[in-house]
Amino acid sequence: MVGQVIVSGVLSGALYALVALGLALIFGVMRVINIAHGPLLMLGAYVTFFLYSRLGLNPYLTVPVAMAALFVVGVLLQRTLVFRVVDAPELSSLLLTFGISIALVNLAQNLFTSDLRAVEYLTESWSVGPLSVSKARVIAFVFALGLTGGAFLFLKTTRLGKAIRATSQSREVALVCGIDVGRIHMLTFGLASALAAAGGALLAVIVAIQPEMGGVWTFKSFLVIVLGGAGNYPGALLGGLLLGLVEQLSSLFLTTQLSEVVAYVLLVLVLLVRPSGLLGGRQT
Amino acid sequence: MRLRSLACLMLAAIVAGSSLPAGAQGPVRIGASLSLTGTYAKLGKNQHEGYQLCIKELNAKGGLLGRKLDLVVYDDQSMPPTAVRLYEKLITEDKVDAVMGPYSSPVSEAAANVTEKYKKVMVAPLAATTSIFKKGRKYIFMIISPAEGYLEGLVDMASKRGLKTIAVVNEDTLFSKAAASGAVELAKKKGLQVVFTEAYPKGNTDFSALLTKVKAANPDVIAAATYFDDAVALTRQMKELAVNPKMYGVTVGGDLPEFYDTLKQNAEYIYGATQWEPTLPYPGNQEFFDTYKKEFGHEPSYHSAAGYAGCLTYAEGVRRAGSLDADKVREALLKLELKTIFGEFKVDGDGFQTAHKMVTFQWQGEKKVTVWPDDLARAKPRFPTPAWNQR
Repeated sequence: MVGQVIVSGVLSGALYALVALGLALIFGVMRVINIAHGPLLMLGAYVTFFLYSRLGLNPYLTVPVAMAALFVVGVLLQRTLVFRVVDAPELSSLLLTFGISIALVNLAQNLFTSDLRAVEYLTESWSVGPLSVSKARVIAFVFALGLTGGAFLFLKTTRLGKAIRATSQSREVALVCGIDVGRIHMLTFGLASALAAAGGALLAVIVAIQPEMGGVWTFKSFLVIVLGGAGNYPGALLGGLLLGLVEQLSSLFLTTQLSEVVAYVLLVLVLLVRPSGLLGGRQT
Repeated sequence: MRLRSLACLMLAAIVAGSSLPAGAQGPVRIGASLSLTGTYAKLGKNQHEGYQLCIKELNAKGGLLGRKLDLVVYDDQSMPPTAVRLYEKLITEDKVDAVMGPYSSPVSEAAANVTEKYKKVMVAPLAATTSIFKKGRKYIFMIISPAEGYLEGLVDMASKRGLKTIAVVNEDTLFSKAAASGAVELAKKKGLQVVFTEAYPKGNTDFSALLTKVKAANPDVIAAATYFDDAVALTRQMKELAVNPKMYGVTVGGDLPEFYDTLKQNAEYIYGATQWEPTLPYPGNQEFFDTYKKEFGHEPSYHSAAGYAGCLTYAEGVRRAGSLDADKVREALLKLELKTIFGEFKVDGDGFQTAHKMVTFQWQGEKKVTVWPDDLARAKPRFPTPAWNQR
């Protein structure tokens, strides 16, 4: 039993990490808390759903499409709205992205209706000894690890990635070094939205899709980046896995209802003991 | 000759006399808040369409008390506090003439506090929790069978087939808790051993740990007191985790055509409870089904039928009372015995439903087939449910 839930916890933890990484990026680079992160994930899930149900595309092939589409949406959001609050107090960015999130959810309700949708693909599972491991979740896990790893590599090794990290460390110095900070902000928002979209596309095969599915992911991502250390990118991976395990184990040993309580108590404890997160904040 | 023209004149006077004030009074405005978005959106929308069809048909037949009917609907986003605010608004600001109930037990429970305060009769067609009606409220009326009976068919069939153990899980809200506790009571009475019970929060999407525990308890029957989203998620994750009971049944949501559309062949063998089926031999049922499908482009669910029948029941109460006065309508409804497309209506002194009957179905070959009770059953249940990997 414990083995089974540890497997479930690790599998969902990687997805948490993938989605949270986007939120961590935006926060790290712009100091903007993006409440609309979950709704962007929801849009990614709808891209997969429509490509799968209308064009019969393999859902895993739709992941890059969803990422590209939401990259554009992210860039546009930054270009038109979010850039206005980058230097404003954090409350302004909260209010703005909260507004964007409401608008996105309502837009989805009008365009896609609030009917529950599902991608019925790969619903079987492998049995490994006494464990059953869902195929869709394993593939999502592999994708999530791959994309998270890819994003790390991009940030660590490429010129653009270094520019993003430089901007997140100190905007002024980055400016002085000739980095176009406005462009970096746009790319960061686009990249973060693409990561959310990837999470949404992978989730589409696992859970049912509806316009309000994103809200809970905003909170989970928030939890993950606070656990890992806001602005600390490897911390997001650790925080994600930790949250996945804590949720599953507390559902097993306590009840499903208490699992959320445990997750948030953990958050409070971490904030009390290590206010900068488990790995410390902003060490990019 | 003179006599006839006199009679003619009198008739004209009567017609003019009765139609004049009707025109002057304007339409009867009926207000409701419904779950058009949020967790219960799918079900709330069907109820809304039931109301709309009922109003349309009543208007086609000349309205109510000689006045046309108008429906004023707001969206409560499936949230009880929002519904409270909206009923306050409907009654105090919009000054509607009458109200109809919202969707679901938790929302009706909250809204009933408002409608009682302002002494408005509220027929609550989609509130199935007994406690709502047993708190000394005077103006609320029940249409559907109580929540406690939803899983009765499943438990009864299981015990007749000699199954021994049952696990009961439920969403932690008013209706689902009542349905689950009803199932537990009934199971004990029928000699089934309850090996596992647990509630999960509303909006929960990850059931893996819960189902791991269910699997370890290895029950013959899994009874889940669900709404729609959780019923779908539970079923998908049961398959993922290879949880293989001999019978598996859900409550609300399992009867929607969308349940099968979403889960496809994975919905086969699943039992569900329903307040109503289009195939049941109630008067006018077939016509209702056809008209509804033509009007809205999809099949009605029991939520549609209950909404429709609830609205007709209220209208019948008003007609018998000859007035919109709450106390007179209340008296009329307490005495009313009515058979609609939804089945029978009769309430006790608390407005609690006593005549309506539930049925249990099973998904067989893409169709819902009534399998319980025996006198309404159209086929035998496909028993036992095969393991997921043997289908």
